[in-house]
Amino acid sequence: MNHLSLGESLTELYLDFKAKFELCFIDDNRFVDYMLSGLGNTLKITFFALIIGVVIGVILALIRITYTTNAPNMRRGIGKFFLSLFNGIAKVYITVIRGIPVVVQLMIWFFIVLVNIKDGVLIAIIAFGVNSSAYVAEIFRAGIMSVDGGQMEAGRSLGFGYIPTMRYIILPQAFKNVLPAICNEFITLFKETAVVGYIAVTDLTKGAYIITGTTFSAFMPLIGAALIYLVIVMILSWLFGRLERRLRASDQR
Amino acid sequence: MINVEHLKKSFGKLEVLKDITEQIGQGEKVVIIGPSGSGKSTLLRCINLLERPTSGKIFINGEEITDPKHDVNLMRQQMGMVFQHFNLFPHYSVMDNITLAPIKLKKMPRAEAEELGMHLLDKVGLTDKAQEYPARLSGGQKQRVAIARALAMNPSIMLFDEPTSALDPEMVGEVLKVMADLAAEGMTMLLVSHEMAFAREVADRVFFMDDGVILEQGTPEEVFNHPQEQRTQDFLYRVKEKK
Repeated sequence: MNHLSLGESLTELYLDFKAKFELCFIDDNRFVDYMLSGLGNTLKITFFALIIGVVIGVILALIRITYTTNAPNMRRGIGKFFLSLFNGIAKVYITVIRGIPVVVQLMIWFFIVLVNIKDGVLIAIIAFGVNSSAYVAEIFRAGIMSVDGGQMEAGRSLGFGYIPTMRYIILPQAFKNVLPAICNEFITLFKETAVVGYIAVTDLTKGAYIITGTTFSAFMPLIGAALIYLVIVMILSWLFGRLERRLRASDQR
Repeated sequence: MINVEHLKKSFGKLEVLKDITEQIGQGEKVVIIGPSGSGKSTLLRCINLLERPTSGKIFINGEEITDPKHDVNLMRQQMGMVFQHFNLFPHYSVMDNITLAPIKLKKMPRAEAEELGMHLLDKVGLTDKAQEYPARLSGGQKQRVAIARALAMNPSIMLFDEPTSALDPEMVGEVLKVMADLAAEGMTMLLVSHEMAFAREVADRVFFMDDGVILEQGTPEEVFNHPQEQRTQDFLYRVKEKK
């Protein structure tokens, strides 16, 4: 008797699961229209924000490092003036960006700064790129500082200028040192984009939320979205792990 | 070849070099000794402007390198430097460590640079390590690669900042041998070191520095065997006692 009732209840569970699955994902093409197209937006925002973040972040880090290492030895003049100015701007930028929640920044971009631009995805790219750049800047600054001071001296003593020494000797080592932290930042950025629903962009999270609202069924869309995030993060970490191992080739004793 | 005139260097309120005037001739080998904090390394580092002198002038081959308009990078290409902690580039192979500067700065074709690299590695006895990364080398091997790297720009002056101080005792000899070979070829050498036996063998002159000045100088025989100054005697006594 028991055996039969277990089979029955399993069948019932399966049928219920199948019905919910069809309701949430298959009917009205919901999975493709909301979840997949939402995921597309999530990936688009993450990818372009990443590029903006790294480009601005590295520039900020270089300004800050160049200032700390060179300004004390520089003669007064136009060079020192501009370096101090840029360093000041970089410091304020980093402080302000890191001090405000990213959702608030996102809404400020959308409702105040870029009020004339209607493309929410574009605004999200800008907001997340700018936000990420402040963190990337500090990560790279720490990475450059972690390279032994003797490396800069060795480069300079061979006749390399400051910038070529940075390019050929310091930055490749700094990049290797910051990989785990940068991977972390990328993962955080990817997941943080889940708040773009605030500016009416349909991303993966918003897509799942819409399905929940129309079907009154939360399990499928939310667990589905969670699994998609998880799998992508796992792929990202795996890719970074591979890159890290490749760059560590020179460390093997 | 190297003329130093009234060189002073301060770090904040601390005066590390106090009015040093000195000349070093072509092909001369000078060993600088002295207690720690006496300004030996600072003097060496001022000569290739890794430290900017607070005041005074330095001339290399008659050109004033302390002139703000003088091209520091070009000057450094003619002056090799070897550091206490080697400072090899850990992300490049031994060969790339050596060829990086000639390829990037002199625009030397890679094949030619690698030929030069092999020649220099042969000179320091490490041709079999060309493709290794620095992490796989011993201290003595690292320092020999560092010397080869400095020689790759074909400098006319070599500066050595305590090149054997960070080495295990059994590796000091192999580095000193490379340096002795270099000395025999007529390279102008300036060396901060406490290797007395080596100084005796290759140095033309020994400077004893104390408290920011060259307190005493002369041939190794004069300075080591007949020091005139009390502080030189004390220092030599302490160094000998240690050994």
